[in-house]
Amino acid sequence: MMKGLWDRETVALMLLAAYMPLALFWIWFGGGAALATLWIAVLCLAFWNFVFLLARAQPPSVAAVVTALAIAMLAPEGLGALRLVLGISFGVVMGELVFGGWGRNVVNPATVTLSFLGFGFPGYGWPGFDDPVVWAAFPAALIGVATGIMPAAVLGGALLVAGAALVLGAPVAEVAPAAWIVLVLLVVDPVTSASTSLGRWLNGGAYAGLVVFFATGWSGAAPVQMAIAAALLTSLATPLLDEIAITLWIAKRRRRHGRN
Amino acid sequence: MNVLGFGPGLTPAFPSPPVSAQEPSEVITQEAGIRTPAGRSLRITPLVGEGDLVAQGAPVACLRDAPQVQLVAPMPGRVARISLQPGRKLSEIVLFREEGGDVMQHDVADTSTRVGLRKLMQAAGVWPWLQRRPFGGMPPADENPAAIVVMAMDTRPFAPDPRQALAGREAAFSRGLQALATMSEGPVFMCQTDGAPLVGPDLASDNLHIVKAAPRHPQGAAGFQVHALAPATIETSVWDIHAEDVAALGELLDTGILPMTRLVRLAGEGLRESLSIRTQPGADLRELTLRIANPGAHRLISGSPLDGHEAHWLGPRHRQVTVLPRPPKGKPPHWFVSALTRSGLPRPVIPTAALTQAFGAALPAVALVRALSSGDDEMAMKLGALSLLEDDIALVDYVLGGEAHLAVLLRGMLDRVQAEFAP
Repeated sequence: MMKGLWDRETVALMLLAAYMPLALFWIWFGGGAALATLWIAVLCLAFWNFVFLLARAQPPSVAAVVTALAIAMLAPEGLGALRLVLGISFGVVMGELVFGGWGRNVVNPATVTLSFLGFGFPGYGWPGFDDPVVWAAFPAALIGVATGIMPAAVLGGALLVAGAALVLGAPVAEVAPAAWIVLVLLVVDPVTSASTSLGRWLNGGAYAGLVVFFATGWSGAAPVQMAIAAALLTSLATPLLDEIAITLWIAKRRRRHGRN
Repeated sequence: MNVLGFGPGLTPAFPSPPVSAQEPSEVITQEAGIRTPAGRSLRITPLVGEGDLVAQGAPVACLRDAPQVQLVAPMPGRVARISLQPGRKLSEIVLFREEGGDVMQHDVADTSTRVGLRKLMQAAGVWPWLQRRPFGGMPPADENPAAIVVMAMDTRPFAPDPRQALAGREAAFSRGLQALATMSEGPVFMCQTDGAPLVGPDLASDNLHIVKAAPRHPQGAAGFQVHALAPATIETSVWDIHAEDVAALGELLDTGILPMTRLVRLAGEGLRESLSIRTQPGADLRELTLRIANPGAHRLISGSPLDGHEAHWLGPRHRQVTVLPRPPKGKPPHWFVSALTRSGLPRPVIPTAALTQAFGAALPAVALVRALSSGDDEMAMKLGALSLLEDDIALVDYVLGGEAHLAVLLRGMLDRVQAEFAP
């Protein structure tokens, strides 16, 4: 059998490769503490993937490492291993594994985990990012878009709305670095972002719009917290955006051909 | 949308020795087999017995449900074997070639009308070269299509260039196009690559449109052209036919004799040299590749490496032969490795740019994949799946690593729709 390249594990490995600049800079600046968090996240994800492999014959995916990286980078600081494991277990099992594993999930498990940690343990502070880490997200996005594993239109939609907000003078300077990292790590995930061209532009625009909305109206929240809340709400709205785009596409074709 | 100059689509690369540049030679194999396209069945009544002599173009069998539609001999020969499956389904009819045999001459006096032309096409063996959408296969004997798409381009890997096949036959091609225009209720679309027009501008009219398409696969797959130009639905069927067959139809109308050779490309990793030849439909693949194949076990594939299948005889609509080395049988993987990799099939499809391009960016790819995998037939129909056949989405299956089995899902969906909705 002649085979092409783009099966699930190839995409997962490509995603991992794309996030490598971001991960390396983050580990460089975070040191041993960052590595320890990442290690706990990877172990916990590996355990749950193994449980689902045995219980439901679900093949595990390398994408779990990407999820672990996103969780480790964005989780509240000083949680301790127990709370982290609790949050990851809830987010990964309920957000991904019960739906059939990576590729069949409707929300990003990292987004669910981080939201859960934010709601469940509000006393812990959210992380900030050094400038080089923020900049390292650019090559990550570039590799993702160039290899076609990250939807360029989501980035485009988000940057368009963010640019418009800047021009209109919304107070987005403080939230922008965290929102950019969350955009690259969570929102452009190929599985849970929108799948149609128009839907992707709307998806990115909705995320950036929500971030701007929170930045203007949500006092006392940390930038990462706002960005994660925006990412969660956007990913819940994504199926609707796709539905709108597909309905419009079908209507356009019917108008052109008189049938579909 | 053709911003970059090459349009949407992909160019999958397969290893093959370079094609020798000389003019294609005519190779008529000593044996030929009349068979059905892969995955389809035809109920037939044989019109000859084993051992009978037949002329080239003479009928050897007709359809059981439509006796006017005949399958004809691709060369003068002797009927060697007629093998049918239960239910009078055609398995294969094998002919041995007889040197200097007769050629069947058809009466072409009454072909200016649609009825007369249809009768000639069905009797002379042109009918099986047509493919209808939705559902595939040759059209029912009395069907009038809403449009006909003539493919004067082929973007599959190793496909022979239709321009080469049509060289010197422009007049016959124009004649065939005009004849097809009388068969169609609606327009006839002639799809070609960028370059010199294949028919004169005087021929283009309200009824005949010349369409220039992008050069990457799957733009040259008939399904995506049908999808873009005249979507097939249950009520409106659309036919497609290769340009070389249209030229053959034109020559049939001019001379009464249907030319039985077609340009075929032999390519693939299992060959020492790659060739362009002219041979008959149903040609013996072993004889065609005997002298140019590498030593060792190999697979003879009728069709392209994407949509072809192992066969003994060249398929009725196929124009390429791919020879691939047969991979050695490895030992089965350890059970734990199998559990990690092989359990829970089919794997989910991850939306990437590669998936969009494999569908030629012609439709919401992910929505169609999800509709097919979840059995949502109505959504798949709305997205245009009735215009497509397995061959068209073979590239998608290839790109996704052969684990998504979309061609199988599409066939299942088409069969369900045919059983439930079709009259």
